[in-house]
Amino acid sequence: MSKAWLAILAAVVLLPVFVRHAIATEIWIFAIFGLGLNLLMGYTGLLSFGQATFFGSAAYVAGYLLKYYGINVFLALGAGIVVGAVSAAAVGYLCVQRSGLYFIMLTFALNQMFYFTAYQWTTVTGGEDGMPGIPRPHVLGLDIQRPLAYYTTVVVLFLLALWVMKRIVESPLGKILQAIRENELRAEALGYDVPRMKLAAFVVGGAFSGLAGVLYAMLFGIVPLESIGFVFSGNVVFATLIGGSGSLYGPVIGSFVFIWLSESVSSMWARWPLLLGVAFVIVVLFFRGGVVEAWARFWAWRAARHAPEPVRADAPR
Amino acid sequence: MPLVRTERLTKSFGALTAVNAVTIEVEEGSLHSVIGPNGAGKTTFFNLLTGQHSPTAGRIIFDGRDIAGTPPHGVAHLGIARSFQRTSIFPALSILDNVWLAAFARRESWRGLAWRRAEGYPELTRQALVVLAEVGLGEKAGQPAREISHGEQRQLELAIALAAAPRLLLLDEPAAGLSPDETQKMVALVRKLKGRYTIILIEHKIDVVMTMSDRISVMHFGTVIAEGTPAEIQGDPEVRRAYLGGART
Repeated sequence: MSKAWLAILAAVVLLPVFVRHAIATEIWIFAIFGLGLNLLMGYTGLLSFGQATFFGSAAYVAGYLLKYYGINVFLALGAGIVVGAVSAAAVGYLCVQRSGLYFIMLTFALNQMFYFTAYQWTTVTGGEDGMPGIPRPHVLGLDIQRPLAYYTTVVVLFLLALWVMKRIVESPLGKILQAIRENELRAEALGYDVPRMKLAAFVVGGAFSGLAGVLYAMLFGIVPLESIGFVFSGNVVFATLIGGSGSLYGPVIGSFVFIWLSESVSSMWARWPLLLGVAFVIVVLFFRGGVVEAWARFWAWRAARHAPEPVRADAPR
Repeated sequence: MPLVRTERLTKSFGALTAVNAVTIEVEEGSLHSVIGPNGAGKTTFFNLLTGQHSPTAGRIIFDGRDIAGTPPHGVAHLGIARSFQRTSIFPALSILDNVWLAAFARRESWRGLAWRRAEGYPELTRQALVVLAEVGLGEKAGQPAREISHGEQRQLELAIALAAAPRLLLLDEPAAGLSPDETQKMVALVRKLKGRYTIILIEHKIDVVMTMSDRISVMHFGTVIAEGTPAEIQGDPEVRRAYLGGART
C-alpha cells in the first residue's frame, strides 16, 4: 500500500477526533465530488463550471424518493449515481460540441437552467426553502443516524470511490483522456473519437457527483437550493485547484482545505472567503499543481539543501 | 492495384483552391514523394487523405473503397497514419505512453478500456518499445516527451505514426527543422522504412527525394504539374521552370 493511501487512512481515523463529525463527513463527501470533477478538469482538460448540476439533480431525485417512497439507502445511492451520470450525459453531449471558453460558458449556462428549474418547481423541490425532511434509513439493519455511524458509511464509500477513480485514471481510458488534454488533434489522428471520450469523462464525473449529492442530502437531511447552484460548482473547482488538479489525490486534499477552512474560519471571521481568495491567487501564481505540487517542491528543496555542498575548485579559501 | 488512388481531389477554402483536381496513384509497398514549393497544397492534400478536411470534390479510393469524408479517427482505423510537419506529440506524457496510445488505438477490441491497468497489455508495451528502439529512443522511454530535444521529438513524431502499424504511412516533412546531422539520421530512418510500408512523403530536400523515391508528384498552386520516376522528373522542363528553377542543371 502506498504512502498516500496510508496518509488517507490515518486522516480517516483521526479526522472525527479533531473535527465535528458533520464537517468530517462533509469533507469526504466533497472529496468524492472533487474526484469526479478532476477527471474532467485535471485529466481531460475540460473546465466544467457546472458540476453542481449533477450533484444537485441527484440529491433532489434521491432525496425525493427517500422522503416520499421510503426507498432503502442502496437504492437511493444507485438512483443518485444514475441521475448524476444521465444528467451528465445530456449536459456533456451538448458541451463537448464546443471547446475553450464556449465550453465553459455552456456548462455554466446549463447549470443555471437546472438551478432555475429547481427554483421554480416549488411543489417538488421546495424552491428557495430547499427540500427538508430527507430521512437516513437503516442500512442492513444498522442504524446510521448516529453521526459516527454515518461518518463510517461515507468513509467506506469514499475509499471505494477513490479506488475506482484510481483504476480509471490508470486504465487506457485515463491515458486517452490525458492525451486529449495534451493534444486533441493528435489524439483524433491516432483513432480516438475525441467527443465520445470526453462524454465518457462527463458520465463518470457525473456519477461521482451524483453519489456525493445523495450522501450530502442524507448528511444534512435537506437538499438546499444552493446544492444545484453555480456557487457550488465554483467551490468544487476552487477546492480541486487548491488541492492540485491532475493528480489523483489533489481533490481530496483540496476538499479538506476548503471545507475545513470554510467551516472553522467562517465561525470566527465573516470575511473568510477573502482567505480563500488569497490561497487561490497563491496557487494560480506559484503552484499550478496546488498543494500536491507545493508538497513535492518542498521535499525536493529540502533534499537539495541537505545534499553535501559541491566543492568548487575556485572557491576562495 | 494501387493501395490508394485519388481522383480529381479538390479542396477550396472560399475563393482559394488549395488542392485542385489532384489525381495520384500509390502502389502498395512503394515510396511516393510529393514535392512542390511552399503553399503548393501538399499538406492540405495530406489533410484530405486523413480526414482533417473533407474534400470539395473528388474521391479518395483506399483499398478499393471511397473514404472521402471519413472523420480522422475513422481514417486511423482504416490503417492510415501520419506524422505532422509541426511536431504534434503529448508533451506531459512519457515517451512510452505517447507511442503506446498509438498502438492501443489500433486494437481490434477496446476491452478493459476503463478498468484494466495500462500495464495489463504487455504486447502493446512490447510493440511500443520495439518502435522506440527502431527510431533510436529506446533508452528514453520513461522520460516525459517535453523534456527531449527537438530532434528527438521529431523521431518520436515518426514513432507515433509507426506504432499504429499503418498500411499507409504519410510523412509530412519528417526532417523539418533538423540540423544537418539529425537530418542524415532521419533520412536513414525513412530509408529503412521503405519497402516495409507504403509511404507518401512530403519533403523539401530535393536530393533526398530524388535518391529515395519510386515515384514523384510535383505540385504547384494546388495542381499536379508532373508525375513520374525521379529521372523523368529531373528531366521535365516544366518542373524545372516551376520548381527547381535554375538550381539543378
